[in-house]
Amino acid sequence: MAKLQKVSAGSRVFDFFNYFLLTLIALVTILPFIHVVGSSFATSAEIARTKFLLFPTEFSLNAYEYIFSTDTIFRALGVSIIVTVGGTLWSMLFSTLTAYGLSRKDLVGRRAINFMIVFTLLFNGGMIPTFLVVQQTGLLNSLWALVVPVTINAFNMIILRSFFMNIPESLEESAKIDGANDFSILFRIVLPISLPAIATISLFYAVTYWNTYMHAILYLSDADKWPVQVLLRQIVVLASGMNYDSESFTDVPPPETTIKMATIVVATVPVLLVYPFLQKYFAKGALLGSVKG
Amino acid sequence: METSTMSAREEAKQLKKMKRSETWRRIKKNKMIYLMILPGLLYFLIYKYLPMYGLVISFQDYKPYKGIAGSEWVGLEHFERLFTSSEFWMIFKNTLMLFGLQVFIFFPIPIILSLMLNEVRHSFFKRSVQTLVYIPHFMSWVVIVSISYVMLTLDGGIVNAVLETLGLQPINFLLNDEWFRPMYIIQVIWREAGWGTIIFLAAITAVDPSLYEAARMDGANRFRQMWHITLPAIRSVIIVLLILKIGDVLELGFEHVYLLLNSSNRNVAEIFDTYVYVAGLQQGQFSYSTAVGFFKGIVGLIMVIFANWLAKRFNEEGIY
Amino acid sequence: MSKWKKLLGIMMLMFLLLVAAACSDSSSESGSDSSGDGGSSEGESTDSGSDEPYAFSIMANLHTPEVPADKVLEKIEEATNTDVEIQWVPDNNYEDRLNTAFATNSLPEAVFLKNQTTFVQFRDAIEDEQFWEIGPYLEEFENLSKLKENVLDNTMVNGKLYTLYQGRPLSRQGIIYRKDWADNLGLEAPTTTEEFMEMARAFTEDDPDGNGQDDTFGVTDRSDLVYGAFKTVASWFGTPNYWGEKDGQLQPEFMFDEYVQTMDFFREMHENGYINQDFPVTSKTDQQEFFKNGTAGLYVGSMGDVGSLKDDAIAINPDVEFDVHNYVEGPDGEFGIWAIPGYGNLVMFPKSSVETEEDLKKILGFFDKMMSPEVANYAYWGIEGEHYELVDGAAKVTDDSALFEREVKPFQALEIGEPETNGRYVGYFDYEPKAKSEELFIDNENYLIEDPTVPLYSETYSQDGARLQQIITDATYQYILGQIDKDGFDAAVEDWKSQGGDAIIEEFNSSN
Repeated sequence: MAKLQKVSAGSRVFDFFNYFLLTLIALVTILPFIHVVGSSFATSAEIARTKFLLFPTEFSLNAYEYIFSTDTIFRALGVSIIVTVGGTLWSMLFSTLTAYGLSRKDLVGRRAINFMIVFTLLFNGGMIPTFLVVQQTGLLNSLWALVVPVTINAFNMIILRSFFMNIPESLEESAKIDGANDFSILFRIVLPISLPAIATISLFYAVTYWNTYMHAILYLSDADKWPVQVLLRQIVVLASGMNYDSESFTDVPPPETTIKMATIVVATVPVLLVYPFLQKYFAKGALLGSVKG
Repeated sequence: METSTMSAREEAKQLKKMKRSETWRRIKKNKMIYLMILPGLLYFLIYKYLPMYGLVISFQDYKPYKGIAGSEWVGLEHFERLFTSSEFWMIFKNTLMLFGLQVFIFFPIPIILSLMLNEVRHSFFKRSVQTLVYIPHFMSWVVIVSISYVMLTLDGGIVNAVLETLGLQPINFLLNDEWFRPMYIIQVIWREAGWGTIIFLAAITAVDPSLYEAARMDGANRFRQMWHITLPAIRSVIIVLLILKIGDVLELGFEHVYLLLNSSNRNVAEIFDTYVYVAGLQQGQFSYSTAVGFFKGIVGLIMVIFANWLAKRFNEEGIY
Repeated sequence: MSKWKKLLGIMMLMFLLLVAAACSDSSSESGSDSSGDGGSSEGESTDSGSDEPYAFSIMANLHTPEVPADKVLEKIEEATNTDVEIQWVPDNNYEDRLNTAFATNSLPEAVFLKNQTTFVQFRDAIEDEQFWEIGPYLEEFENLSKLKENVLDNTMVNGKLYTLYQGRPLSRQGIIYRKDWADNLGLEAPTTTEEFMEMARAFTEDDPDGNGQDDTFGVTDRSDLVYGAFKTVASWFGTPNYWGEKDGQLQPEFMFDEYVQTMDFFREMHENGYINQDFPVTSKTDQQEFFKNGTAGLYVGSMGDVGSLKDDAIAINPDVEFDVHNYVEGPDGEFGIWAIPGYGNLVMFPKSSVETEEDLKKILGFFDKMMSPEVANYAYWGIEGEHYELVDGAAKVTDDSALFEREVKPFQALEIGEPETNGRYVGYFDYEPKAKSEELFIDNENYLIEDPTVPLYSETYSQDGARLQQIITDATYQYILGQIDKDGFDAAVEDWKSQGGDAIIEEFNSSN
């Protein structure tokens, strides 16, 4: 149908600028990442010679060989994958339930509960009391400590809720008349037409879990359970020469830049791959099709 | 007459009763919904509200080994110290400036970007751009700031090298307080703009494509279509995000600012988080840093309440 | 309908199980690692049968990328008859973890403090007797009793000893410079500040690498006024080490004329382009990069860095030649070099986890054995033949230095004492400047400038010192960059005084 429509000149000019600008933006945003990937395949000598290296002239896999020569990184990646997958499922379950419940406008006390949740975005008791609760609930030194204390992210829950609220009430009403209860409405009607929102919030959770790092250091004394971000962080901080406490170990040479870059690549690429897989849920009009069908 | 007042009183009573029973009826009707939100509420109570007793240490001279029970109460001393400190207004101003940049410059960019992406018809191009622009979000600030250093430094940085070949004076980007704010916001945009589009793109999927069709029939150009169809569809998400952003008024990314901070730009770059970092973490002044956190929370709360009230006045849903 | 209810029931149960009923769970969940959790009583409950390895935990800072394999630890455990669990904490987050564990009573039996700053921070708790006073026990242990008296004095709190120290050379500061450049230009190692300035000038202006391009500068420095170049150069000028005596009173270094002279010296270098223009924001890595890739020719800092600098520099330019040098006279014709208090790390023993004197003695026994040559060598050099070889009675790391860095280096954080007291091998270096740097550390000891406030205490300083120091650090950089003048600097000093500096001066002087 659209093809029959004659495309106006103005529209074509618009398209030209739009494509041009977007290409430019994509290039500018991606350059530093190319720098990181390029440096990870370079030799140390070339890095020291070239300030902002994009494509190495001498290709080297040394940094990757070094990283993968022990099982530390594999173990850390394994932990990160478990925490990310498990944590995302866990969080989505409770966030969806809470968000849907609070999206119902006829719920008595809804405003008070919502306010109570917003409040947690602004105030927190601090590291030590939180640690005590985590300790008292028996999560210390278990991977659950990276998940349960952050079960619901209030920010994500509020977004999800506002997506749910945009669903026409008529859909729910008609299901109700058919005798469906709240759970089946949520799982059979609301969720299927909220896939873009579910995909978005899942992505948010997945990325948060993937990046989890401070909790691992605080709650897990067993280094075997550290996720990959702890390793990445340690290498980046040491390699950037940012540990100012130089008085104790002046003789330790920092890890090489190539190793830093390779670790960034290894620790980042797995989570980067998530989004392209979710993109099919973002196709325009996908949602309405499913409703109508 | 008398009977009628009686009946009126009775009626009011009745009405009240009815209202109460109506409330009860609604609660009962929704009992499954309450069941649904119960685990979530328990989570917030246990892991968010239980630790909040820790806030009381901002009224104490807290010593870890004495615990909260054993530490000495000092009333508002820490708040007094904060408000009377010679840097307080400078920090407050710096924080507000960065907040302004975040709201007025950064915030609209992901929206514009997602509108632009939405106009792209080649699915492959669209997906590629989307994926590329979201990558920087995964680079830590440490990496981003060190890349900026490499590009902007006077000692062989690319940008200054280019300026010099163009016959221009090199610019002292790093050790100059005028460049801190532009640098800050450009880095924020660079890292977060692409990531920020995801939410809006998800919201845009709710638009019925036939609406565009109809608009085209009416001769609406692309900008009008954006304005009248796409934007209204994502309005509620924009407002929710804006309110949440306003609540973060004093949260501007500690790590980022701390990495950019140096002796020459402290007068514009010092914010609350960096200010308490030295006191709190390096010197174990738990009470003082908690008090500053408390203060930040209160300011955030006031802003959120105000923004939410404003949203409601415009018949928006708000966040609570 | 009931299906949904069941599902909900299961979910609720999952959450509740985890959250509410899990208190008892902690012991079963964490098993042998539980000493990291609150209170840890496993060590203490071990029967004191003398053959049973004594089990306890140590918290230490990790200054390498990865946690080490157990190989070296097993050797140490075997030699000390212990079952040690080491809780590694990344260096950069050590304070967070330390503070949290301390406030929640979950410190392990032995706790390393990472540095002086944390030690000062814990002073309050130490005075409150939260940690064992170990002074009286030291003489019972053959090796611990050898620890140096003067360093122990530096770590005392109100005249009592609570910590064991890890020794550090008193001063490693000096110059690393491009010998080949100096030879090209006919220059000798600088012995006065004037010659140093001249070398910085020549390296900038006289094309030291002979490539016909103006692409070099003199000094490469970083955003660190202490371990970078500034404090060392200040020593040459005769500036006191943090504090010095003037008019019969202790005063901070920046109130001395020598400090201002040093600032002028840097200002001149900066103005003329003899030093990297952005040094106040340059990281250590970038600083070293300038030196490695032949952009800069002078590096002021730890002379021991010459080894790792050379390794990378050679890969870029095989002809590069470095040398190290320490002796530089100030205008008054004297050379001085600032000293650290002789320790790098400290270990303490919390009473919350070490419950009895008997346990304390067992743990001290472990550290006593750590100070025997056999165990100290394990911790510092690893296993002979695998990680190092003996050459002329000194340890030489094998060619596979990556293996050494992974499996041994982290354990160096556990060293107690120094080679003179724990008898471990000193390092063997076939790279001549590196060997020379080790000699110059010892030579430096003849010219030390000590910090007189190390054994003193000022409450204001320990509470507010870091923030106040910021005022001075900022002003120093701004002065060097020409953003403020002497009046501006004096104003900053006044600011420092009025915000608490006066109190610090008074407190230090009255505790002197």
